Formats: sequence, C-alpha cells, structure tokens
Amino acid sequence: MEEKKIFSIAALFDTPDDITRAVKETTATGYTKYDVNTPYPVHGMEKAMKLKPSLLGFITFVIGVGGATFAILFMSWVTIVDYPLVIGGKPFFSWPAFVPITFEVTVLSASVGTVVAMIALFFKFPHNSHPLHDTNYMRKVSSDKFGINIVAIDPIFNEDKIKEFFKKIGGKEIETIYEEPFPKEIKMFDKRFIGALILVMLITSGVSYLVLNKLLYIQPYSWMSEQDKGLPQTKSEVFSDGFTMRQPVEGTIARDFIPYEYKGMKDSAVINLSNPLPYSKQVLAIGKSRFDTYCSPCHGYFGKGDTRLRDQFPKPPTLHSDKVRNWADGNIYHVITNGQNIMPSYEKQISRDDRWAIVHYIRVLQRSQNAKDSDFEDSKK
Amino acid sequence: MTAIDYTQEVPVVEGRPTAGQIEEVVLIPMNTKPGKVWKVLITITSLMLLTGTVALGYTFYYGIGMWGNNNPVGWGFDIVNFVFWVGIGHAGTLISAILFLLRQRWRTGIARFAEAMTIFAVMCAGIFPALHTGRFWLDGYLFPYPNQNHLWVNFTSPLLWDVFAVSTYFTVSLIFWYVGLMPDFATLRDRTENKLRKTIYTIFSLGWRHSTRHWQHYEKIYVILAGFATPLVLSVHTIVSFDFAVSVIPGWHTTIFPPYFVAGAVFSGFAMVQNVLIFVRQAFNLKHIITLNHLEKMNQVMIVVGMIVGYAYSMEFFMAWYSGNDFEMFTFINRALGPYAWAYWIMITCNVLSPQFFWFKKLRRSIPFMFIIGVFVNIGMWFERFVIIVTSLSRDFLPASWGMYTPTIHDFGILVFSFGLFFTLILLFVKSLPVVSIAEVKAVVDGAQPLHKGGH
Amino acid sequence: MDYQKKELPKKFSTIGWILVLLGVLLVVISYLVNPMRASFNNVIALMFMAGISVGALVLVALEHLSGAVWSTPMRRVSEFLAASIPFVAVLGIPLLFNLHGLFHWTHTDVVKSDAILQGKSPYLNTEFLIIRYVVIFAILILFYFIFTRNSRKQDITKDQNLTKRNVKISAAFMPIAAIGISFLAIDWMMSLEPHWYSTIFGIYYITATLLAGLAATTYAVVSLNEKGYLHSSIGADHYYSFGALLFGITNFWAYIAFSQFLLIWYANIPEETIWFMMRWSGGWKYITIAMIVIRFAIPYFGLLTAQSKTDPKRLKIVAVIILLAHLFDMYWLVMPTYDDTAVFSFYEIGFPVLIIGILILVFSFQAKRHNMIPIGDPKLQRGLDFHL
Repeated sequence: MEEKKIFSIAALFDTPDDITRAVKETTATGYTKYDVNTPYPVHGMEKAMKLKPSLLGFITFVIGVGGATFAILFMSWVTIVDYPLVIGGKPFFSWPAFVPITFEVTVLSASVGTVVAMIALFFKFPHNSHPLHDTNYMRKVSSDKFGINIVAIDPIFNEDKIKEFFKKIGGKEIETIYEEPFPKEIKMFDKRFIGALILVMLITSGVSYLVLNKLLYIQPYSWMSEQDKGLPQTKSEVFSDGFTMRQPVEGTIARDFIPYEYKGMKDSAVINLSNPLPYSKQVLAIGKSRFDTYCSPCHGYFGKGDTRLRDQFPKPPTLHSDKVRNWADGNIYHVITNGQNIMPSYEKQISRDDRWAIVHYIRVLQRSQNAKDSDFEDSKK
Repeated sequence: MTAIDYTQEVPVVEGRPTAGQIEEVVLIPMNTKPGKVWKVLITITSLMLLTGTVALGYTFYYGIGMWGNNNPVGWGFDIVNFVFWVGIGHAGTLISAILFLLRQRWRTGIARFAEAMTIFAVMCAGIFPALHTGRFWLDGYLFPYPNQNHLWVNFTSPLLWDVFAVSTYFTVSLIFWYVGLMPDFATLRDRTENKLRKTIYTIFSLGWRHSTRHWQHYEKIYVILAGFATPLVLSVHTIVSFDFAVSVIPGWHTTIFPPYFVAGAVFSGFAMVQNVLIFVRQAFNLKHIITLNHLEKMNQVMIVVGMIVGYAYSMEFFMAWYSGNDFEMFTFINRALGPYAWAYWIMITCNVLSPQFFWFKKLRRSIPFMFIIGVFVNIGMWFERFVIIVTSLSRDFLPASWGMYTPTIHDFGILVFSFGLFFTLILLFVKSLPVVSIAEVKAVVDGAQPLHKGGH
Repeated sequence: MDYQKKELPKKFSTIGWILVLLGVLLVVISYLVNPMRASFNNVIALMFMAGISVGALVLVALEHLSGAVWSTPMRRVSEFLAASIPFVAVLGIPLLFNLHGLFHWTHTDVVKSDAILQGKSPYLNTEFLIIRYVVIFAILILFYFIFTRNSRKQDITKDQNLTKRNVKISAAFMPIAAIGISFLAIDWMMSLEPHWYSTIFGIYYITATLLAGLAATTYAVVSLNEKGYLHSSIGADHYYSFGALLFGITNFWAYIAFSQFLLIWYANIPEETIWFMMRWSGGWKYITIAMIVIRFAIPYFGLLTAQSKTDPKRLKIVAVIILLAHLFDMYWLVMPTYDDTAVFSFYEIGFPVLIIGILILVFSFQAKRHNMIPIGDPKLQRGLDFHL
C-alpha cells in the first residue's frame, strides 16, 4: 500500500470574527496557497485574503455585446435579405420593433454565458472528487463552522509548523486531509453500463420511429387529412341523390355566358352567322391555343382526325374533307357550339369569341393542308 | 403596539438562531414524512389537475373550437390566464432581484420561495398561448430556425416578442434559482446519510465546497444576474402589454400600458406570494424566519403598486375623455356601464379599494385579514385582464361587428388545470427542496458578519 | 455623533447673486425683445426647476417611506434643494400673463371652430389652469414646510416620534405628489399641442423629476463632502448607492421614453404620430438624436461599472450631464411647438442661469441657518455606518 499524499491541513473556527483574524494572520505569515471555507459569504473575507476582484463582469459584457450584435444582424438579414415582407406598412429595417428581441437575446446570452463561465471556467466544476469532500472538515464548514485549509502546494508548506500555527491562532479540530488515490480500474466497460447504453439506444430509436412515422399521422395530428367535406368521386352521405355538388337553380346563367340562339337550327345558323372577328395574328394565336386545348385531343393538332385518345373514343373524321372545306364559317361555329353526332357542345367551355377564333384557325389549317403549286410560286416572289 | 426604534435595525430573523438551528428548521419538511395536511392538499390539487386534464384532452382532440372564443372576441380566457400567470411570476423576480439591488435584507427569507413560484407561474402561463396556436405540436415553428420551407418568423410581431420574452424569462429565472440552490445542495449533501439522496445532491451541487474563492465570484454573479433580471422582469410584462398596446383597438392602444402592466403584475404576484407564504410558515414552523415583519413589508409593497395601478386606471379614464376621440370615450364608458360593468367594478373594488385597508397597521399585521385581501387582489387582477381583453374586443369600432363573449366549461377546466399544476408543483417543491435559502439566511442572522468596528 | 458645522464660504453666495442678476437681466431683455419666445423658455425653466426641487422633495419623502438609512446623513442636502419650491411657483407667474401666446386653446375663435378643443374646454381653460397651478404648488410648499419643520425640530429634541410622523406624512404625500406632478406636465407641456395625448406622459415627467432631483442631490453631496462640509463617514458605499440609483432611473427613463415612442410609432395613428413627426423634421431630428445620446447613452456607459459608481469625480460629471440632459429634455418637449426648426440663442440661456443662481442662493441661505446633516435623526448613526 502506497503512502497517502497530503492535500492540505485544515482548522476550524467558531465565529466570523475569529476566522477573519485567522486569515489575516495566515496572510501575514506568508502562506499564499490556502483557501477559506465558510457556510455563507463572510463580508470582508476577500479583502483579508487579498483576492483580486472578480472578472466575471467583463465576461458578461463581452457575451452581452456579442448577443446583441448577433440579434440585430440576424434580424436585419432575415427581414431585409432572406425573407423581405412588408408588414404593417413598415420598412424592412424597422429598428424600433427589433429592440425588444435584441434586449431579450442580450439578457439571455449574457446571463447563461456568465453562469456557464463561472461554473466551468472559474470554479472548474463539476468537480465531485475533490479531496475536501466527505471530510469532517467539509461537513462542519457546510453547516456552521468557519474553516481554513493550507494546501500542500504552498511554497512554505510544512505539516508540523502549520499545525502549530493553527493551534497558536486558536484553530480547532485541526485535520490533515489526504488526496484520494486514483482509481485503479476503469469501470467504462462494465457489462451493466454497456447494457444500459444499448437499452437507451433501442428506446430512443424506437420512440423516435413511432413518433415520426406513426404518431404524427393519427388523429388529431393528421395534418388535416381527415376533414368533414365531400371528396371527388365519392358518394355523398348528405344528399339522397348521392351527389355532393348541387345543381344551380333552373335558368341560372353563369357570368359572361351568352346563350346560343340557334340551338338545333343548323340551317338558320349557316344563313345568319358570319365570323365577326378579323383575320389577325392575335386572333389566330388565340384560335390556335384554344384549338390545341379543346379540339386537338380528338381531331389532332392539324385536324387530320388523328386522335391522341388511343381508341377510347371513336375517331372523328378529318377536317380536310371537301365537305368541311366547303362549309360556311357559320356551319363550323354551329357544330362547335351545338355539337354534332357524338361530339358534345362546347358552348360552356369555350367563350363565343374564342369559338370564332377557332373557326379562323381551322380555315388556316385547311389552307395549309391544301396548298397549290402557285402558293409556292407566290412565296418565292 | 410597541413603538419602532429607528436607531436599531429590525432583525431579519427573529431570535438569534445559530447556523445549525437554521439548517435544522429549514430542512424539517424535507426530512419528515408528509403530514396529513400535505396529503389532503396534494389530493385536492391532483384532482384539479385531473379535472383540467379532461378539458385539456377535449381541446387537444377537437381543437380550440371547444372554447368560448368567437369572432369579435378572438382572445378570451387563454390570454387572460396567460397574462395573469406571467404577472404572478413577476413578484418572485422582484423579490429576488430588485429587492436584492435595493439591499432590502428582509427578502432573504422569502426569496427562494418566490423564485420557485416565478418558475412555476411561468410554466402555467406558457400553457395558454401554446394551446391557442391551435396545433400545439407544431409550436416549434414559433422559434426562428432554418427550416426546409425557407420561412422565418415575423420579428416585428409583439407575439413573437412574447415568445422571446417568456422563454428568456423562464431560462434566466431558472438559472438564477439554481445558482442560489448550489450552496444549499452542498449543505444537504454533507448532511444526509441516505445514499440515493447523497448521489442526487452530489450531482446537483456540482462539487461546491463553500470556498471563499468561489463565494467571491458567486456574490458577483448574484449582482450581475440581479442586474439583468431587473430590466428583464420589466421587459416581460412590458412586452405582454405590447401585445395589446401596439394595436389600434380603443382601450388597448394607450401608452401607459407598459408601466401599468408591470405594476399590476407585481401587485398580483405579491398577493399570491403572501397567500402561499402564510401557509408555508404556518405549516413548517418557519415563523421566525419568515416573520410577520416580512408579511407586513409585502403588504406595504402591495399598497404602493396598488396605488400605481389605481393611478393608471384614472389616467386612462381621464385621457380617454381628454383625447376627444369618440371610440376611446365610448370604450371607457362601456367598461364602467356596459354589459361587462360587473367585471369592471369587481376589478376596481378588489384592486383599488381593498388594499386601502393596509393603511392601518393593525390590519396589515393581521394574518387572516391580509390573506383575504391577498385573495381579493388576485381576483381583481384576473378581472383586470378580463376587462381589458374582453370589453375592448367585444365592442370596438363597428357596432355591426359587436358580440358577447361567454366562456365554456373547457375554458374553466383549463384554468382549473393551471391552478392545479401551480399548487401541485409548489407542494412538491416544499417537500423536496429547502424553501428558504439556507446560506443566505445564515448570512443575515444577527452576529453572522464580522463587526465592522475594529474589524478593519 | 461628532459633527462640527462648517460654514460655506462667502464666495458661494456671491456667485449666486451674480448669476441671479445676470439671469434676471437676460430674462428681462428676452421678454422685451420677443415675449413669445421668452414665455416658451419660461415654460422650459418652470419645468426644469420644478424637476430639481420637487424631485428633491420626493426623495426626502421616499427616504422616510422606504425606511432607508443610507441616505439619512445626506437628507438635508435634498431638503435645501427642495427649499426652492416657492421660487418655482414664482417662476411661473410671468407665464400666467402670457398664456395667450403659449397655448393654442386659449384662442376662443380657434376653439369655436374645433369640436375636439370644445370638448376639452372644461379642462383646458385659463381659470382652471391657474387654479390647478396654485393648488399644486400650495400643496407642495405645504408638504415641504411640514417635512423640514419636523426634521429641524428633531435636531434639537431628538424625538423619534417626529420620524414616525414624517413617515406617515410621506405616505400621504406620495400619491398627491404623483398626481400633482403629472398634471403639471399635462398642463404646461402636453397641452402645448392640445390635440395630442399620451397616457404615459405624467410618468415620463415624474421620472424626469426624480432623476433631476437625484442628480442635483448627488452633485451637491459629492462636492460638499469632498470639501468636508458633511461627515467623514460618508464614503464609497454612499456614493455607490447614488450612482446605482442614477443608473437605474436613467434606464427607467429610457424605458418609459422608448415605450411611448414604440407604441405611437407602431400603431401609426396620425393624431399621435404628429408629435414625433415634429421632433423628427428640420433640425429637430439632430436634436432628438443628441437627446438620446446625452440623456441615455452617456449616463449609461458613464455609470455602468461598479468602480465608476463610487468614483466621486465621475459621479459629479455624470450628475451635471444628467441635469443638462434634463434641461435639454424640457427644451425638446416644449420648443418644437414654438418653431419648426431647432433654435438656440441668448433667450435659451437666461433662464437656466437664473435658476442656477436661485438654487445656489437658496442653498447657501439654508446652509447658513441649519445643520448640514440631520443631527437629531435616529437613523443617522446607522446611515453613517452604512456598508454594502
């Protein structure tokens, strides 16, 4: 068994006046590496020990200024650069509105920072294996006695002399405190410890999985996926006819809808109607876009009857037949508006003017698929 | 009644107990098995918690449609309770920080307890805005953090300032409290024989060994934290008042709101601390540490802040008339004579009239009487927030959009829940931690400090 | 108690007389040259001096009420400063003859065509204004006499009951003072812009008052004590308390001023923002920025550290800056009504010189007649022994 190393020699005193006097004498004798332990802060003790003033205030100041700067810069960056939104007609950089948060961030960072700095840097805590712990000395100064202990690293440390000195100045319960031997075996690889680690790992991952993948998708956390509303293609529970959507009142006309006066009266339409729109690039552009949207799925982009519907719907005849070429504009317009054979009416989907624009475009298509040699000559000129 | 001797300081702790006796007395509640009273009390508060949990569950499942909030009155009980609880918290910080800076040594006996109340009250307060967001499991979005949606919070909104203020307040109060507890944990660690307790205390004391080299920094940080907590406590209720005052709603937009809210918060907080302390000193035999003088001082503070609140009420009323603004005038007449006049007059009676009894020394020092006044003040302060929020919202500019507010049973349920939570936490606290700061009280007992004359 | 009274040097009151004569001269000239501008400056002067002397009286009452002991040895200094309250009341008398030039709401033709001013006329009318002025100052002067009479009597009798009586009187005084000071501010500064209103305005001026009274007391205490007119036991710990209070109230002022600004800025209601717009246009913009710096930034950083709060030199400088800032603040509150751009000339100097002269004279007169520390106060010894 090795010999125990001395950590310090300690003595106890009964009153604050005694300890203050004792500390003054200790300092006068020339000891520097000593500490005073009192159950509460005794006034004037740091003066008696000749301690330097605490530097904590400086740390607080630095962290506080840092926190304030960060808060202002961050909020400015968010509101000016990354996510500029006009709120309440205020400028992006509304400094008065930043003051409260800047203040809070300053206080938060400075207080937390100072406390952490004090505990970790100034106290070097946590430190639960200090030799003073669990000594009789510690138990006494923790309660109602005032203690002083001179540490072995003091340059003029001498066990007997110090004991004598303590006796002289009236110290009681003089005690030698030994350093704790360093533990031989490290318990890091204890089976129970490893087992506990694995258990924690399993529980954490299991709970995370359940929360993120299951819990977040059941009521009421279902991201509003379950709502009391009618969904498309489902039978309504509310209405006897099973439809969620209701029909408008009979005779209701949608805004901007102009009823077609020649419904089912092809001959009258052919005689009375003529295309009101001029041939122009704008009209043709509208006509092309509407044709491509509404007509081309069945008639094909060039009106050749090459449907894209792959036999889900009967193929319509080509628009380049002589019959259609010779139709009056009114006739084509009538077919679009009224429908013909299996083709439904498009009067609700396509507005009146757009229908006439389509008629113009069909004429252009017909002309393009029926070019003569003279056209070729004309283009050369 | 004995005459006061102004040449002598009134001792903070009665009698001259030794440091060891103080420890014994303070630690009795922790070292004894819970008594009958405590068991009855915790049963009651747990029942309150349970009842409230049902209301909470309904809100949780069906959403806040279960509450009485409606279209003109979008803020109801939730914000009333939030402001109320945050206010309760303010007394703790006031006692531990402002009175510390003003060197009012009588604070030592009650500081620890008041700080604990702050923390619990802020926890209770936090429930309400968190619930009011509707889907509270998404409350994480209240904090600005870089997210995949490239969204940021609105830094110019007073509601966001609230998030920052309340969370900062909670954190700072907690560390303030913990720093104060550290030496006491060390004392507990060195006293206890129980192995489990010893481990717990060892962990929380972080290895504190009462060293003067540590005390020196410790005293410094106490000043620093108090210096921060003082403006912080002002800022928190100021920001709460901004929630209302930055708007243009008549009765909300008035510049006196910040100091007026802070005074009101301190008012209700002191009433609550006083009420609970009366029980604690009785139950745990701490009458010589939490003395009648302390309670009297608290009552004196209550008159002062009560008068400030009264000043604010009258100034608001006067300015509403002086402003010449029809909406302002109507709002205040509506408060006093409208459908919620009963709430207004409860507020005036409890907040302005009832503390006037404290002008009499006999009443100020009578425990049953001060308890009743304390309860009145708390009721009054709750109604103050009710009056501000509900009367202004229910009748604003357009008569066509007026509407009344009726709380539902779920509103009351959650209020009961918050009270249950608060008192349960307090009951657990008194049995598990020293309710009085042992180190601080030891330091203010007569004879605890070296005599200055001849000392140096 | 070992107190040997030491007389102030003759030089002190001579300076006072010179300043008073110089001030009176400048004031008379300015009233003759430009009575309107002079009366606006008179309002600034009234509010500036009321801040110092009423503030000092409030400090006396606060000491009694809170049972503070540290300030007891210096209480006489505050009492001497408060002795100038009657002169504040006199300072307002020339104004009563110039109300028409000052206040928009005294013009009957304007009020007739303005519904809002008509509504306010039960409060804003000349007779009631004068009644309020007289009543407020009568009450303040009355309380001043009660406090100081008790305090002086105690020098001889050493009767503890006098302290007890003062505590009770303070309790009655505080609410009355708060209301009186608020209405003083509303009458003389807020009603300069009769359409504008702000509920916090009274508290703003109460804070300014406290700060002015405290700064004047601090300056006087530190300078007197350095030369040994007070007591050798008054030292760093007492200074620290003054410094900490100055620091705290400066912060509180900033808080109140910012709250008022933020709420008006945020809500953006034209009838309220106009008041700040006036102070943010023309040269006033720079005056406003300068105000923030000298009223808040300089005292804040000047007194931030613990060492600076105990440094007598630093305390004196900061106290003077706070007093200047107080004057500046009153100027900032009053003058934008007079002119759209910031103006500064001999008109603005006359009154402050006069006021400093009056304060010095009153102080030296009081100091000659009474003890500089309240030797009969039972709390005195504890106050001298005060340590942090």
